[in-house]
Formats: sequence, structure tokens, C-alpha cells
Amino acid sequence: MTKFRTGLLAVAIAAPLAACGGTPKPEARMASSEGAIRGAQEAGAGNVPQATLYLTLAQEERDKALQLVKDDENHRAAMMLARSEADAELAVALARAAHAQNEAAQTTEQVQDLKEKAQ
Amino acid sequence: MIGKLFTFSLPALLVACGAHMPPRELVDARAAYDHAAATESTSLVPAELHVAKESLDVAEHKFADDPDSADVRDSAYIAMRKAQRAEALGNAAAATDSKRTAERERLRTQSAIIENQQGKLANAQDQIAKERASLAQQKQLTEQERQARLAAEKKAADAMDALSKSLAVKADTRGTVITLSGGVLFATGQAAILPGAQAQLNQVADALKTQAEHHFTVEGHTDNQGTDAINNELSNRRANAVRDYLVVRGVASEAITAQGFGSTRPIAENRTPEGRAMNRRVEIIVDRAVTAAN
Repeated sequence: MTKFRTGLLAVAIAAPLAACGGTPKPEARMASSEGAIRGAQEAGAGNVPQATLYLTLAQEERDKALQLVKDDENHRAAMMLARSEADAELAVALARAAHAQNEAAQTTEQVQDLKEKAQ
Repeated sequence: MIGKLFTFSLPALLVACGAHMPPRELVDARAAYDHAAATESTSLVPAELHVAKESLDVAEHKFADDPDSADVRDSAYIAMRKAQRAEALGNAAAATDSKRTAERERLRTQSAIIENQQGKLANAQDQIAKERASLAQQKQLTEQERQARLAAEKKAADAMDALSKSLAVKADTRGTVITLSGGVLFATGQAAILPGAQAQLNQVADALKTQAEHHFTVEGHTDNQGTDAINNELSNRRANAVRDYLVVRGVASEAITAQGFGSTRPIAENRTPEGRAMNRRVEIIVDRAVTAAN
């Protein structure tokens, strides 16, 4: 009976521990997040006002995730890294849109100039 | 048992009663997706919008499964970003389309400009070709005129040379002077041209007609026999008789004038018969100057 109680206690203690620390370190998500942040930087998100905020958020979330991994909060870290990746990808899209809109405006202006010269 | 049942059914009851309001992140995600779906993203980047929809579905399922879970807020946050990303990529695609349209317009405009400039160039080249042809024609005409003038000058010179073989022709300050003897042309005291003089005058007329660019003056002169009044009148009538004859023979009337000088301009002594014969004369002067009309 004593052995049975001791066994139950062990299970009772081990189960919550497994729930907290059982999730492996989100190494793949970390790599994805880092890649997305690097992509946003290369896309020039740091120089596009609309995109800068999301690049900064992505970096902050990545840093929080690193801290959560240190605290062995791997599941929360994985979700934070997913947020970071989503923010970085949004920064890339906004930078790309700003770039495309700028080019379109320049081309339209060139056409207007040409038409004025042609008259 | 009752306790377990109560524990199990309470969350369901709360959900059913609306006790579990969706978190702000999920509300924002739904709004972001609806906003993106209302833009050109639907047609321009349907795959990205589909990804956003799947992401929103994940958040909705997690909310349905466990409304209080932190994963719900994280998933909703990610879904919102996916929706915003789809909209941004839609904007990028629309801008790229606009740029392509503008580039096509630029090419059309450039082509129109080039075509217009080519047209102007062709017109200018045509104009240059016409001017060159006109210049060549003018040059040819000028050369023809020069040749014609040279031929006319030669003909005139030849005519005067031929005339000088039978008549007295000399050059002085007034021009070329052809001297006809009064005794040959007229009977004494008369101004009618003798038939025997007509051959000489015909020859003179033919020579004068080759001098089309010059003016001629017929001068009548007498010796000093008789009064000045008679001599002046006689010399004037004789000069006009010669002029009229030359005009009849084809010399242009506007190119020839006549004047009598009486005995005022002798060329020899009037004391001898030979001198007086020389003084009785008609001189036809071919002016040195070329007439302005020609």
C-alpha cells in the first residue's frame, strides 16, 4: 500500500513536470524567425516607415523567445517565435509594397514628363 | 459524480451563454481578414489570402476548443499578421501592375515621339533635297544665261568687227562711234535718205540689233556753210531720219534717240572742201554703259 501511494505520488509530481518541461526547444522555429528577420532587413524594411515597426516587433519577440527558452518555457517560446516570424514576414510585404508603389509612381511621373515634352 | 458533471458542464454553459468573449487579438484578426478580402488581394494574391484564412481558422478552432488558452491570442495575432501581409502583397501586386501599365504607356509615348521626330526629320530632308534641286536648277540657269550672254557678246563683237571693215568705227569717251558720211546718206540740203545709202544703214541696223543691252544716239552734224539755224534744223532732221530708218529695220525705238548739233562739233577744217565733207556726217554712238533695263 505504501509502495502504491509512493508510486501515485511520483506520477502526480512527474505529470505536471512533463507538461512544463516536456516540450523540446523550438530550434526550427528559431531558425525560421531568424531567417524571416534577416529577409526583412534585406528587403529594406528598416528604411521603410510602414515596415520598421513590424521589424522591431519581430526582433523583440525573438529576444523574448530566447529568454523563454532559457526559462524552459519552450511552448511559449515557440508561439513567440511564430509571432516574430509573422511580424517579420509582414515587414517584408510592406517593404515590397512600398518599393513597388514608389517605382510605379516614378514611372507614371516619367510618362507624364514625356507627354509634356512631346507636346 | 455530481461534482464532476458540474465541473465538466460549466465551461460549456458559459460558452453557450456568451461568457467567453473572443480576445481582442481574435477580433482584430477577423477584421484584418475581412479588410484584406475586400481589397484587390482577392484577385491578385488569392494564395496569400487563403493562407491568411487558414491561419484565422486555426485561431477560431483554438478559441472554440479552449477559449482561455494563451495559444488563442498567439494564433489570432499570427492570423492578423497573415491577413495584413496578404493585403500588403496585394498592394504590391497592384503597384507592379500599375508600373507595367505605365511602362507600356511610356513605350507608346516614346514611340510616338520617335515617330514624330522621324517625320520632322523626313520633312527636313525633303526640304533640303528640294532646296538642293532648286539651287542646282538656278546654277544651271545661271550657267545657261552666262553662256547666252557670252554668245551674245561674241555676236555683237563680231557684228561690230564686220561693220568696221566697211565703215569708220572707233571708240572714244562716249562709247563706240560709227561715222557715216553725209554725202553718201543725203542729197545737199536734204534729209531724205538716198537709196544708195540703205545698204550701209541696213548693215548698221543689223549690227545695232546685236547690241541689245546698249543705248544708241544718232547725232547729225553739218559743215559751217549756211546759217546756224538752218544747219541745226537740217542736222536734226537728218539724225531723226537715220533713227527712223534704223527703227524700221528692227532697232528698238526706246533704245535709240536722235539729236542734231549743226556745225558746232566739226572734226575737220571747214576751209577746204575735204574738211567740210568730213564734217557733214551722221554719227551713231553705242553708249559704253549697259542699259539698266537689261
